[in-house]
Amino acid sequence: MSGNSSTFRPASYREASARTLRDTPEVRDSVGSATRTFDALRTKAYAEVDSDRWRDWAQDVKAHALTHLDEYLEQAEQSLVANGAHVHWASSADDVHRLLEAIVVEHEVRTVVKAKSMLSEELEVNAHLDTLGVRSVETDLGEYIIQLLGEPPSHIVGPAIHRSLEDCRALFHEELGTPMDADPDELAAAARAALRGDFLAADLGISGGNFVAADTGTIALIENEGNIRLTTSVPRIHVALVGIEKIVPRFEDLAGFLQLTARAATGQPIGLFVSLIQGPRRADEVDGPEEVHVVFVDNGRTALYEDDTAWEALRCVRCGACLNICPVYRQTGGHAYGWTYSGPIGAIIAPGLLGLDRALPLPHASSLCGACVDVCPVRIPIPELLVHWRERTVEEGRNSVGERLAMRSYAELAERPSAFSTAGEALRWTPWRAVGKALPVLSGWMQEREAPTPSPKSFRDLWREGIE
Amino acid sequence: MSAREQILASIRAARERRAQVDHPGRFGAWRPEPAPSPLHGFETMFTQAGGEVVHVSSSAQRDTWLREFLSGFDELSLGVGVPAEVAGLGPTPVPHGSEHTAPAGVAVARAAVAETGSLMMDARDGRRAQLLPPILVVLVDATTVHATLADALGAVRADLPAAIGLHSGPSKSADIGQVMVKGVHGPGRVIAVVAQAGLGAYRHASERPSERE
Ligand code: SF4
Repeated sequence: MSGNSSTFRPASYREASARTLRDTPEVRDSVGSATRTFDALRTKAYAEVDSDRWRDWAQDVKAHALTHLDEYLEQAEQSLVANGAHVHWASSADDVHRLLEAIVVEHEVRTVVKAKSMLSEELEVNAHLDTLGVRSVETDLGEYIIQLLGEPPSHIVGPAIHRSLEDCRALFHEELGTPMDADPDELAAAARAALRGDFLAADLGISGGNFVAADTGTIALIENEGNIRLTTSVPRIHVALVGIEKIVPRFEDLAGFLQLTARAATGQPIGLFVSLIQGPRRADEVDGPEEVHVVFVDNGRTALYEDDTAWEALRCVRCGACLNICPVYRQTGGHAYGWTYSGPIGAIIAPGLLGLDRALPLPHASSLCGACVDVCPVRIPIPELLVHWRERTVEEGRNSVGERLAMRSYAELAERPSAFSTAGEALRWTPWRAVGKALPVLSGWMQEREAPTPSPKSFRDLWREGIE
Repeated sequence: MSAREQILASIRAARERRAQVDHPGRFGAWRPEPAPSPLHGFETMFTQAGGEVVHVSSSAQRDTWLREFLSGFDELSLGVGVPAEVAGLGPTPVPHGSEHTAPAGVAVARAAVAETGSLMMDARDGRRAQLLPPILVVLVDATTVHATLADALGAVRADLPAAIGLHSGPSKSADIGQVMVKGVHGPGRVIAVVAQAGLGAYRHASERPSERE
């Protein structure tokens, strides 16, 4: 089944978020400022176009593709094979690991350059390459920073947004010998110089894929730095890891998705570099990889697809807009969520990709304010899906013993009018200020708030006396 | 069951329960502002993203500009499709495979897009030459500027190389403390030299008799 990995820990969400807020309060500042900037840019970029129409269109193309997914996957496979690419199918992270191992052994791969791919994080590709004795180098600047720090990404678009300029200065000083007061341009130049050598030396480039056009067999990749173009152009072999939900039917559909995704993610009209890859180098081309492998990855996606409500989450284009606007995500950034995908989208796909047991309590990490659904470029009803997973949690008896007891006691009371009235009476005479401050959870809530004074008469008394 | 069969079988089983949705058709531009002329639109969008645009209306003008600009470099990388007469205007070209040593390069765009301010770079022109030099001059034929990205994709789909790059400005990143820096991996300076319609100097390499190795 999906998610065989051992390092993902959404279960510790509560402790991890408390720890982040207590021990590293500066993370909240960095994440808050980055997400507010992203969100303001998105708002402006949406306003420049008829974004409602764009989003309706994108929702429909994705829904169409998903309701014909088997046909389009087969078509994409045929097109890619006709273009000279190798197509593989992987049910799990283990399948992907085995495939990479075979490629590494066959081609005696020593160095791998990687283009930012959340799927490769989800599959824990770097750790696996490490066990094979292969050096893997993240080449996106944000990914490079967190790889040097040994951290996972904290945002699906800006993996290092939890780190400040000061953090980067200290890191680069240590790793690359730049001065402690180096400006961002100097830091970027040092990283560029270090990574240039890796691009030229690497035997294998690993990327993800934002979209796959079924009719032409095109893998589309969006970026701003040029590292994805280099990763997929310079090494001898290119492996693209793509989730099975990334399919769009037609090459021209990319026109809408490339623009809408960029506007939703960073407010740009399009990523500064887009790669549209059909396959390996051809006879009339002077360079490019000799081998291209495209891996269609399931790893829990069919489990999402089988769920009659949650399958809508497969429309996601991973733009991060829902993270940027989420008041809960903004407090802690992504690390507290304990796995690759954080924020609202992480909370709705985790139960499918990891299994409901391992995903808890992420569907509860939301106030259901609904801000996310207003910004989502493919109109995923995120709050509905959160509620869906909460309902499933209860149906399957996976909610906490305390919650179940409380609900059962309430149900019993509500079914007995005299007991209900006595309980109401008792509650009205409880000294809430004192009791509240003595209880766990409530005491925290009461630090900032006063309990209201209960009415001297119950609602039922008032009703009986006749409401004016 | 193989992974392939397993994946397709679970999709087919669940698909039965999904109401089929039709494809909504072609993506339209759908924006309130009327689209400007393609050339004007391209220039606006490309320069907004930090790219530079130079217009030339004769081959003499083009050559003068290139000769002067390229005189500042001691080596040059060249796209395969760069016309021979242009290739001779700058310093010694580096051989293919050594593009990383060149401080600047010249490449040819297959087309351009107004809507997104993009240069469409074809793999047949050489991918290293499009990516490795820190400063890149890109020759664009004004008659190949499409109004929308959908138009441009539609125009090339019948003749796709191994890869197409859409380059819409210089390489940038805000990953270091959210401060924008230029020239991270791809070229940090990109200059589109747009040759006015009628000059017709820039055809795609595969459409031309071989002019240089
Ligand atoms: S759920 Fe919507 S807003 Fe969130 S990352 Fe996916 S596409 Fe973007």
